[in-house]
Amino acid sequence: MTAQEVRLCGLLLREHFGEVVEKVGTHLLRGGAQNLRIIIHETGVPLDLVKKSLCVLVQHGACVFSSGRKGAGSPTEYRTSCDRILRILRYPRYIYTTKTLYGDTGELIIEELLQRGHMTMSSTVKTVADRLTQNMEEGLCMDYGEVSNAFSKLVETHFLQRSTPATPGTPAAPVSTAPPSPESFPDCYKVPHMTLVGRGKRQLCSEDGEDQRNAKRAKMDSQAHGDEGICWQVNFERFHLHFRDQAIISAVANKLDQTSSEIVRTMLRMSEVTTSPTATCTKPLSANEIFRSLPPSYNIARPIVDQYLTLLVDDPMEFVGKAGESGGGMYVVNLHRALANLARATLESVVQERFGSRSARIFRLLLRKRHLEQKQVEDFAMIPAKEAKDMLYTLLAQNLVQLQEIPKTPDFAPSRTFYLYTVNQLPTARMLLQNCYKTVANLIERRLFESRENKRLLEKSQRIEAILASLQASGAEPEQLTEVEEMITATEKQQLEALRLHINKLDSAENQVDESIFLLESYINSTASTS
Amino acid sequence: MSEVKLKRETNVLDVVEVENRIKELCQQLPHGITDQVIQNDMPHLEPQQRAMVINKLLSLGQLDLLRNSSGLLYRMKDTQGAGKMKGSDNQEKLVYQVIEDAGNKGIWSRDIRFKSNLPLTEVNKILKNLESKKLIKAVKSVAAEAAIDSKQSPMVQRNSSFATSHEVWKYICELGISKVDLSMDDIETILNTLIYDGKVEMSVIAAKEGTAGSVDGQMKLYRGVNAVIQPTGLVRTPCGLCPVFEDCHDGGEISPSHCVYMAEWLDF
Repeated sequence: MTAQEVRLCGLLLREHFGEVVEKVGTHLLRGGAQNLRIIIHETGVPLDLVKKSLCVLVQHGACVFSSGRKGAGSPTEYRTSCDRILRILRYPRYIYTTKTLYGDTGELIIEELLQRGHMTMSSTVKTVADRLTQNMEEGLCMDYGEVSNAFSKLVETHFLQRSTPATPGTPAAPVSTAPPSPESFPDCYKVPHMTLVGRGKRQLCSEDGEDQRNAKRAKMDSQAHGDEGICWQVNFERFHLHFRDQAIISAVANKLDQTSSEIVRTMLRMSEVTTSPTATCTKPLSANEIFRSLPPSYNIARPIVDQYLTLLVDDPMEFVGKAGESGGGMYVVNLHRALANLARATLESVVQERFGSRSARIFRLLLRKRHLEQKQVEDFAMIPAKEAKDMLYTLLAQNLVQLQEIPKTPDFAPSRTFYLYTVNQLPTARMLLQNCYKTVANLIERRLFESRENKRLLEKSQRIEAILASLQASGAEPEQLTEVEEMITATEKQQLEALRLHINKLDSAENQVDESIFLLESYINSTASTS
Repeated sequence: MSEVKLKRETNVLDVVEVENRIKELCQQLPHGITDQVIQNDMPHLEPQQRAMVINKLLSLGQLDLLRNSSGLLYRMKDTQGAGKMKGSDNQEKLVYQVIEDAGNKGIWSRDIRFKSNLPLTEVNKILKNLESKKLIKAVKSVAAEAAIDSKQSPMVQRNSSFATSHEVWKYICELGISKVDLSMDDIETILNTLIYDGKVEMSVIAAKEGTAGSVDGQMKLYRGVNAVIQPTGLVRTPCGLCPVFEDCHDGGEISPSHCVYMAEWLDF
């Protein structure tokens, strides 16, 4: 847990769950595994609030508990990790992806599950159906069956998975330090048999009394739908695989052309379920299979597909490799190499934008040629000596380039040592990842600052909107409405508009930096799993 | 006496004067003059003499003979063209004319044969002569090939997008933009810097010894490429480019809440 990660997690927890949870969460992040008493003592937060915060964190999977280190009988210890909390930054991307793949129903299912952490299938279906019915026209209702279908589809494609069943008080608690992952249970992706028939209910806001009575009645006759105790959660890894595939396909489309990217998309789609998440490359696919699985709208002749595959194999970026000759040629997608290339392109883009295209030339030169002396850098990059020296020293100061000393004599005398410049891709990627975390934290801070500065203005506009809404509902005349609207002056309206633009810009910038974070994290994880 | 003299003088008009007069007329009417125009200008010029003068001008290569719907046209040939063709015989001039008429697109040798009505061997000899005089150039029509195949064969498309280092070297030398003579090694060094800029990629193929530009049985091929990704998300924020990124903390003098760069970026 680096300082930047902890700071970002703190900000995310504060925005989503409040300050108390932030305090408890950051304390756990900094302190490692702790039991309840220590947490209370060191954070100074009262017992019941700590309990509630821990419940919230456990519900969202950010915190795990296990029996104490001193053996069975010692108080349970709680542990948090940054990864799960940093996922909160990516929620908008998950929701948007589901919307493109499964429409509004899927989008709302994922949104509900992300907000609640775990939920049973029946409660999810009911809530989503109610929400959809709210937005439909009068008289129309959303059927539970439709929502259940969407839910089942999400489970089939592994976007949703069952949460680890909680087994409280098991005497033979597993001694292994790693908590069991949801995937280790065989029923992970099995949809339970549920008896759930009905339609979504529309909430009527004008009849408050009836609502309260309905709520009471719902609590009293909670029907058993046959799936109690089976909670579902969002499978983040599956979404990450999907994003990785998207990144590879768009890189191929940029570098080559649309048809090549369609072929790679087909290959990746065919390997979705057969490839493990940490695999270096997909399982070999024969050219015959690829040709048969191409979308029918692309009627390309068979020899042309072969030629495209050969082109993809010959490309220096090595997205696709050839693994054999049977079946018309066996082809694989080189996942780890593609991720490494994308990470390298990210690093080069950062150097280019920050230091200029000539520094980027030096950076790419060093990436290709590994170790070079000062003189060689000047010669290859065709940059005058003085400027090349300046640029190299700037990059060195920013730690993007490292210096390797090779002595000719044992005493490392400067005149008798070779000084070679080099770029190490993995440590540089880690460093840039930390910079990304800091950047996102800065953006969130700025956004909160802007809202705080204009709090008075925001509150005023909210009050006026509420007044307007109530006046309109009770049927007021137009003069009253305009009178209320004029309570906001023109300059204030301008300020509000500028504020809205600022906040939107900061929000979208956070999402853009999250894309860089995703690429760099995937690259670092892929090298960690192979090494 | 004087009348007779005059008549005799106008009768035996100086050939040179007639030539000059015709040339002047051509210059006045750059689209071309017909026999009628010449006759109107010099009504006393006999048709025989006129034909003789015109033939002389044609053989000297100073006049162009064209045909339009109403008859023959004579046009001034530009002197530069006339200079080029000195020393070539008529057939070569004819072939040259045919190629020139084809304009920028060039012309197949088969079509030259049809238009000039010359046998194949003659045409080939003339083409070789003209090429050695550097008046024409044989161009491999890759454009036509690519146009036919572009919808079908990505292989041909890709192969036609490559250029060998030898071709690049020739092209740069012919353009003449460099004051210094560049060798092929210099060109390769420059191409390497383009690779380090990420704009060009290189592949090596085996080539027969003796083909132009092959070194040790290999040839280097270069091709322009597009970027793999768009500029990454981090550099679209001011923090990604900030020179004082390391010094920025909340509560410090440089902090996100009061950052000048952010304020500018937000108002952009």
